[in-house]
Amino acid sequence: MGDLAISVQNLNLIYKTTIDKRPTLKARMKSLGRGTKLTRIVHAVNDLSIDIPYGSVLGVVGANGAGKSTLMRVISGILPPTAGRVEVYGKVSTLLALGVGFNPSMSGRENVLLGGLAAGMSRSEIDKHFEEIADFAELGDAIDAPMRTYSSGMYARLGFSVAVTVRPDILIVDEALSTGDARFKEKSLNKMKELRSDARALILVSHALGTIQDMCNEVAWMHKGKLIQRGEPGKVVQAYQEFLEVGKSAVVDEDV
Amino acid sequence: MNARALPTEVFEPFHSALPPLKPYWRALWARRGFISEFSRSDLREKHFDSLFGQLWLILNPLLLSGVYFLLIVIIGGHSDKTRYAHLTACLFLFYAIANAMIGGVKSVTAGQRLILNTAFPRIMLPMSATLVSLIRFLPTIAVFLVIKGLLGLPFTFQMFWAIPIIAIAFLLGLGLAILFSCINVYFRDIATFLPYFNRSWLYLSPILYEASALKPELRPLEHINPLFPLLDSWSRVMVHGQAPSFSQLGISLLWALGFLIIGTYFFLSREREFAVRV
Repeated sequence: MGDLAISVQNLNLIYKTTIDKRPTLKARMKSLGRGTKLTRIVHAVNDLSIDIPYGSVLGVVGANGAGKSTLMRVISGILPPTAGRVEVYGKVSTLLALGVGFNPSMSGRENVLLGGLAAGMSRSEIDKHFEEIADFAELGDAIDAPMRTYSSGMYARLGFSVAVTVRPDILIVDEALSTGDARFKEKSLNKMKELRSDARALILVSHALGTIQDMCNEVAWMHKGKLIQRGEPGKVVQAYQEFLEVGKSAVVDEDV
Repeated sequence: MNARALPTEVFEPFHSALPPLKPYWRALWARRGFISEFSRSDLREKHFDSLFGQLWLILNPLLLSGVYFLLIVIIGGHSDKTRYAHLTACLFLFYAIANAMIGGVKSVTAGQRLILNTAFPRIMLPMSATLVSLIRFLPTIAVFLVIKGLLGLPFTFQMFWAIPIIAIAFLLGLGLAILFSCINVYFRDIATFLPYFNRSWLYLSPILYEASALKPELRPLEHINPLFPLLDSWSRVMVHGQAPSFSQLGISLLWALGFLIIGTYFFLSREREFAVRV
């Protein structure tokens, strides 16, 4: 095991979120004086500590709402912790569930450029990698079409290409591969294996237990914001499966 | 990997209302390319980089000033060329500020995907929207100068006072864009109220009338409407070719800085929870 890449110390994350998907002034005024609750407190991560060294590929498993994505957002600096401390030693590239592309009416090319600039990359850095990104995503001419014309697979492919091409020290992949087709899935797994051999740190959040076991040298199982178990992929995945009472079925196994 | 003694980033809970301003500013400065690229892409997407797109940018406020002029002539019964020039100049500047607000209000909620996936100073989003409205405003100055020439109104060196006035106007627009984009995260229907708000603001500002023509009972407007001294100075400079009064310019600047500081404080103290709110 190499040097420390990420150190999460007694992390807690509690946040308030609105119950309404789209909170409005109108709704607020109408419910005035009724005492209706408009916000909900979510305790997403609960006193979690984990050290991730370079050279490791950590799989994170857990049921929906376990706090996996929130933990990844804290590590990438998108959400500040409520208590505890997170230290990151290196450049993080995140590929969280939603992928790239924030403005669907702009082209893939513009979205890649804007996403990169927002992440703090320089224009020349992005230009340098652009061909590689476009090639890897296999979008062809579609790279210059508005992203609203993309299929979900095309979205995912472009997102993945950006994340792996910028040569991050630490790569976080959060269930972003689930929409790609079988061929692209294989290609991206190979790419991740390549990154793994470069002694980078990789965190893979997925419900695809087969992929997790195949890719990772360590697995962490989270449940309701807590770290339940961490260790050998085989052992943790088995414990998790027993917990889920689903056993080893094709559905859980195959999908990335 | 080399041994790294110090973490490159540390994330800890925040206790103060504002994030540490120095690193925030540094992160913002490092991403200035985003702001210019965003406005370029946005203008391209709305086809304002093409000839007809440019034409529309000019035609729209021009038609608007024609409509309002018609209104003044019908209601007021009389009008002259100075009046028309005043109306056009003030309308152009008013819409520049209003457009910054309208463009900015949804900038944060529209940037949802980016906010959920990337750590960056969120204030970049309303800033980019304000830059878009500034770029859209600039050609209308040329149009106004042509109109002014056609009307035979005097051109003087005092007209260079327009530059600080535009700067103040955009500081105000930026402050409003930042403030409203933040409010819109919590109340998504704010954008629907804005047109009514803007329309009222238009009538309460010296645009359809000149500031000097205001009834004494309505004089207090001068003190509570941030646009009042600004538009009055603008009209003096652009239409009459006179120097603005320094007190008016100073008051406008204070209004603009006030909105900018309040908006920025409000935004920065909230932006760390945007990722769970959008």
